[in-house]
Amino acid sequence: MKLTLWTYEGPPHVGAMRVATGMKGMHYVLHAPQGDTYADLLFTMIERRNHRPPVTFTTFQARDLGGDTANLFKDSARDAYDRFQPQAMIVGASCTAELIQDDPGGLAEALGLPIPVIPLDLPSYQRKENFGADETFYQIVKALAQPMPRTEAITCNLLGATALGFRHRDDVTEVTRLLSLMGISVNVAAPMGATPDDIARMGQAHFNVLLYPETGEAAARHLERACGQPYTKIVPIGVGATRDFLHEVSALTGLSAKVDESGLRLPWWSASVDSTYLTGKRVYIFGDATHVTTAARIAATEIGFEVVGMGCFNREFARPLRAAAKAYGVEPLITDDYLEVEAEIARLQPELILGTQMERHIGKRLGIPCAVISAPVHVQDFPARYSPQMGFEGANVIFDSWIHPLVMGLEEHLLTMFREDFEFHDEAGASHHGGKAVPRQEEELPTYVVPAGQDLSAPLDRYAAMIPDIPIITPSGEVVWLPDAERELKKIPFFVRGKAKRNTERYATDRGLFEISVDTLYEAKAHYAR
Amino acid sequence: MSPRDEIPLLKGLDGEGSVQVHQDASMKIEGAKVFSVYGKGGIGKSTTSSNLSAAFSVMGKRVLQIGCDPKHDSTFTLTGRLQPTVIDILKEVDFHAEELRPEDYVATGWNGVKCVEAGGPPAGTGCGGYVVGQTVKLLKQHHLLEDTDVVIFDVLGDVVCGGFAAPLQHADRAVIVTANDFDSIYAMNRIIAAVQAKSGNYKVQLAGCVANRSRATDEVDRYCEKVGFNRLAHMPDIDAIRRSRLKKKTLFEMDDEDDIITARAEYLRLADTLWRSVQAPGSTPDPLPDRDIFELLGFD
Repeated sequence: MKLTLWTYEGPPHVGAMRVATGMKGMHYVLHAPQGDTYADLLFTMIERRNHRPPVTFTTFQARDLGGDTANLFKDSARDAYDRFQPQAMIVGASCTAELIQDDPGGLAEALGLPIPVIPLDLPSYQRKENFGADETFYQIVKALAQPMPRTEAITCNLLGATALGFRHRDDVTEVTRLLSLMGISVNVAAPMGATPDDIARMGQAHFNVLLYPETGEAAARHLERACGQPYTKIVPIGVGATRDFLHEVSALTGLSAKVDESGLRLPWWSASVDSTYLTGKRVYIFGDATHVTTAARIAATEIGFEVVGMGCFNREFARPLRAAAKAYGVEPLITDDYLEVEAEIARLQPELILGTQMERHIGKRLGIPCAVISAPVHVQDFPARYSPQMGFEGANVIFDSWIHPLVMGLEEHLLTMFREDFEFHDEAGASHHGGKAVPRQEEELPTYVVPAGQDLSAPLDRYAAMIPDIPIITPSGEVVWLPDAERELKKIPFFVRGKAKRNTERYATDRGLFEISVDTLYEAKAHYAR
Repeated sequence: MSPRDEIPLLKGLDGEGSVQVHQDASMKIEGAKVFSVYGKGGIGKSTTSSNLSAAFSVMGKRVLQIGCDPKHDSTFTLTGRLQPTVIDILKEVDFHAEELRPEDYVATGWNGVKCVEAGGPPAGTGCGGYVVGQTVKLLKQHHLLEDTDVVIFDVLGDVVCGGFAAPLQHADRAVIVTANDFDSIYAMNRIIAAVQAKSGNYKVQLAGCVANRSRATDEVDRYCEKVGFNRLAHMPDIDAIRRSRLKKKTLFEMDDEDDIITARAEYLRLADTLWRSVQAPGSTPDPLPDRDIFELLGFD
């Protein structure tokens, strides 16, 4: 772990908060100093939750350290129980409080509360948020879930959705809907939306669907051992992965994997003639490993992008990511340092970044469009509308949200194309604002008076001296762009301008020309169009 | 250091000059009964450990055997193969233990015995204790010890260093494998001294010794009587054990022959004795000075 300005993950107790906040009837008593209460804001401001996280902080201050912090913890736990009357409680220490070694688990046990109290022992200085959530959920499941008779109809549990997760709310709805098409109902979705009583009846389900390996794998493995429930390994993000997931569920249950796909639009949308501009776009993908590997598959096989690099911040899942990177022939980047990610993106110069909130900032700095695919995310990625990532509707959402930044880029060329138009020039103002059109000021071509005695036989010198105010677009080789040709070149949309320039120069060189005029430009265009 | 610092007198408790601190509480193995098997090199620790693991599993216990020898051949009679070591696997992931999953380094051997080979540095370099510590950390991280009844550490016999001591921090009882000859008993005497020193600071205590590969036990018994130690079992010098290792099997997997059935019964009895020994107070022998043991065993 390194000290850094911004991090992809918080300390493990934030992961525990994500589990507690997702649940109902659960309370988290957290031994933590005053400053650590800021974590509340993550949930109320970023996720726009309409209630505070169910967390009681002991908020000890510097002067408490001289007294009895253990009693402070016990009082807080007792008060929290009296006030919130939870069905179960988890207790632990934040990274700062871990240092005073009060043993919240032991203290809470000594209180003898009439509800299950689950102690969390999270290694704050070695592991991070995702591990904290995974471990917390595991401890809760281990303490509360027991083997029990299966439900008559085939049911499953959905594991791993937490508060502050990327589109977890809608993914749970979408996967529930998808499974219902196969005739499978959901027994318990946990941690998000579940109560401790719900956790206690998880053993009834026939199998588990591991939605988010990052936050649910330990619990899934435990339930496999303790309750004999197999769990799914494929995460249904993308069209191919969703179909594979349905087959995996079919193999577990014996039910048919054929479901109604009439709402699925991604395949046709990306194959339609209007999507040709997406083909071969170079993308860089970074985030949590599960979202990155699924995104890479969508990018490469379902939309037709070229994956030029990928990486993840969570080392727990580095191995599947490395395997995926190998399949796409790119070098994986496993790091939790956003500066390394920025350097890699700057080096690769992709045309699109698929990343987290952090990569969105990187994209802004580097002028590269970015779509968000993974936590950590900011407030705009908790949309009011239904917006899943999983299942067939998730694929539709992904198509829209990934190509949006690219479409926006393309519209820019229309603006520059009309920049010198008599009607739509820069100074004209927006037409729908009802302002009066201002005629365009014609720009004077710089005139050049040849000084006496200057040798005009050397073409390069001649033009370099002639147009000091209009920079030549990097002359390559010995070919020179005349001012009018250069102005014409600027009218060509930016995304083909480089190619047009190179082609014209090659055309000129092949014909032994030293200058490119407007005529040369159009001759070259005609030549390459043949 | 201020003159008022009170320096506790720990001389002799944990080895002379030791500033040993107690291990971190999170490293404690809870739930399982932990045994570590010691003895002179080549005496049959691995054979004893794996047959003992098999015996515990026959008794219905969930067993985890951890081989702590760089040779990583402790568990091959259980798994039928040489499995990769924890250190090999850690090297693959550049020592980022977070990347690992239990199935990467835990193999399931005969009758469900879980097998781990800690591995270690080449002889004479590195620190075997570090490797054992990393292994225990991994097992705890993956909650493997919570689902286990018996843990057996098979400790390397050739060198006395950190690798020797690390399992003692986790063990409830230490077992010493010996034979009815001078070298083995001499080595046992030194191991007793080392374990006694550790038990001042850790919960580990001696359970007793196993007379292995010996027709008679008179010399072992004479030593035990002198120092106040106890012999838990006697494995006669039978060919069946040698053959079982050639076949890469424990005795419990071999065909039923008379000597094999006898040996199995003895391992089952040993397993039962060890299981009970954790409740009772451990053995507290008084190791002999080197000169005295020479005299006792009739050499000079």
